[in-house]
Amino acid sequence: MNTIVIVDDDDRFRAQATAVLEADGFVVIGEASGGERGLAAIRDLEPDIVLIDIGLPDIDGFEVARTVGGESDAKVVLMSTREASAYGPRMLAGSWVGFIPKEELSGEAIRKLVGLR
Amino acid sequence: MTALALATTPSRWVAGLLLIAAGGLGVAMLVGNAQLGPIRIPSVLEVLVGWSFAACGVFLWRRGRSSHLGQLMTLVGFLWLSGRALALVSHPVVFIAGLWLTDLWAPAFALFLLAFPIGRLRTRLDLTIVGVFLFVTVPLELLWFVFLVPANGLNALGFAPNPDAAHVIDTVQRDLISFGSVLLVISLGRLWIRSSGPARRQLLPILVGGVAILLQSTSWILFSSGQSHDFLDELIALAQIAIPIAILIGMLRARMARGAVADLVVELGQTPTPARLRDALANALGDPSLTVAYWASDRNRFVDGAGSPVDLPAEGTGQAVTMLERNGTPEAAIVHDASLLDEPGLIGAVASAMRLAVENERLTATVEAQLDEVRASRARIVAAGDAERQRVERDLHDGAQQRLVSLTLALRLARSRLGESGDPAVRESLDQAADEARAALAELRDLARGIHPVVLTEAGLGPAVESLANRAAVDVSIDIEPGRYPPAVEGAAYFVVSEALANVSKHAGARRASVAARHLAGTLAIEITDDGVGGADLGSGSGLRGLVDRLAAIDGTLTVSSPPGGGTRLAASIPVIPAAPISG
Repeated sequence: MNTIVIVDDDDRFRAQATAVLEADGFVVIGEASGGERGLAAIRDLEPDIVLIDIGLPDIDGFEVARTVGGESDAKVVLMSTREASAYGPRMLAGSWVGFIPKEELSGEAIRKLVGLR
Repeated sequence: MTALALATTPSRWVAGLLLIAAGGLGVAMLVGNAQLGPIRIPSVLEVLVGWSFAACGVFLWRRGRSSHLGQLMTLVGFLWLSGRALALVSHPVVFIAGLWLTDLWAPAFALFLLAFPIGRLRTRLDLTIVGVFLFVTVPLELLWFVFLVPANGLNALGFAPNPDAAHVIDTVQRDLISFGSVLLVISLGRLWIRSSGPARRQLLPILVGGVAILLQSTSWILFSSGQSHDFLDELIALAQIAIPIAILIGMLRARMARGAVADLVVELGQTPTPARLRDALANALGDPSLTVAYWASDRNRFVDGAGSPVDLPAEGTGQAVTMLERNGTPEAAIVHDASLLDEPGLIGAVASAMRLAVENERLTATVEAQLDEVRASRARIVAAGDAERQRVERDLHDGAQQRLVSLTLALRLARSRLGESGDPAVRESLDQAADEARAALAELRDLARGIHPVVLTEAGLGPAVESLANRAAVDVSIDIEPGRYPPAVEGAAYFVVSEALANVSKHAGARRASVAARHLAGTLAIEITDDGVGGADLGSGSGLRGLVDRLAAIDGTLTVSSPPGGGTRLAASIPVIPAAPISG
């Protein structure tokens, strides 16, 4: 339970997130800059955990998360630079395990969300 | 008929003198007749005929009408009076002059009848008729005088007294006058038949006058044997008295018609339909045949009220056109009976009234169009402002916020790589820096939310208001129908609630507040109440004033009820287009 795929269109963030998470003991097995590529990578790599940015350029992050939830057993964690309340009730209606504001991203935070399930 | 030279309007003094002269001549006639024996009714009627013509003529003349009818009528009156008065004087020259003037009355009267109401002869027949009358009363009359042996023996021109010759000439004169009178009645009758409406009304006394002159001339023939014909003479005299009076009444009717113009102005003030406008104009002008045509500039022609093309009548068809123009461009045309042109004041007043109405309608349409444009542009400005806010929020999100996230993560990574080794002061500094970065990010988020609440576009009014309530300083209960509305409506509603809750937190001293929103009959009604100190009003702060402006931009309204100590109730009403909420 430590392989991760990161779906985010910000290259710098993906690199930093990878560094932060790997420093905390996770293995980032794949990255994608958009929803379509992310879904392909997830099908291909079958990670334990998927981090998805809500504001993706091609497909809405919620949609990607919903598709992943229907297709695989991976735990989905949503991320955004905005706070969770900016998305209102949409945040509540899905199979994802939780939401992390991007600046709060850490191995510990992920473990907490995933472990709580 | 411009030959009648006294073209100018007589002064009050001249008019007065003319009336005094007419009065004097009449009195002289009565006095002269009294010397011959007891005054009988025909003598009085004779005076009244002259007075009627002279007085009505002077009155008409004083009114300054352009058609010289006043002058003609005055002339008829004076010929009548002076001829009969002079004929009572026992002097060969004066007596003959009186006889002549008495008979010269006939061509003047014929001319007056034929020239009515335009002031000039219309046809060659009319010219012929006047010619016949003049032939009888000038050359034949003078010839008659040469042979005439009057009963009183006074004849300054009686160079060759010959009663038989005089009788022959007299008979020819009477036959010619009768012939001319028949032609006169035919001409007037033809004019009457060809006329319609108001023209016929005006022509009636003239026709009566024509018939009277015919009766008089035929009576001379019928009763030339010398039989008494007082009754017929009296009837004719009464008709002759009535003619000028009837014409005057016609003029007074025109004056009354100006009262109808006042009614018309009132009617036009109520922006009548084309059909009602036509009826009102027809009524004011007393012309049931009246029609109104409107200029269709796109088709470059006149159309009726229903938009069907209309051809304006040509000259000589008995109909005339009064054009309403604006800056040389036609706007509308009133097609009416040509006889109304003789009432330039009336048609002018009606045209002015209608011009006012048309102008009023045009100005109203212009103002409406400008108002629509202002409304649309105000709504566009608000929409553009909203779009700009959205763009700034996105820029903050994509730029500064991302950089601060990146900074926070970099600091955490550095801290994590440092582990528990290294300088504790460096570790502390890194932790502090990360906290600062997070705090900066939080402030930036508040700022961005204030500029444009993403939750509003993402999730709609309910969640957006919930997010506001969560940050409010007091308890806020929310009752908002789920549903989505056009962005401008959601934006306006959100800022109303946001401003209201900010005021509740800052000024109201309230413990709780409530927000309710309902969509009813195409209108989104929002109500924000609190249990605070009250005393808020729309003029007091730029915040509420700004909301009023913002709502007005989308035809919304805001009312405030805030009695001191009684809490505050803010109610906004926003039209929703489309009427049904967008599900979402």
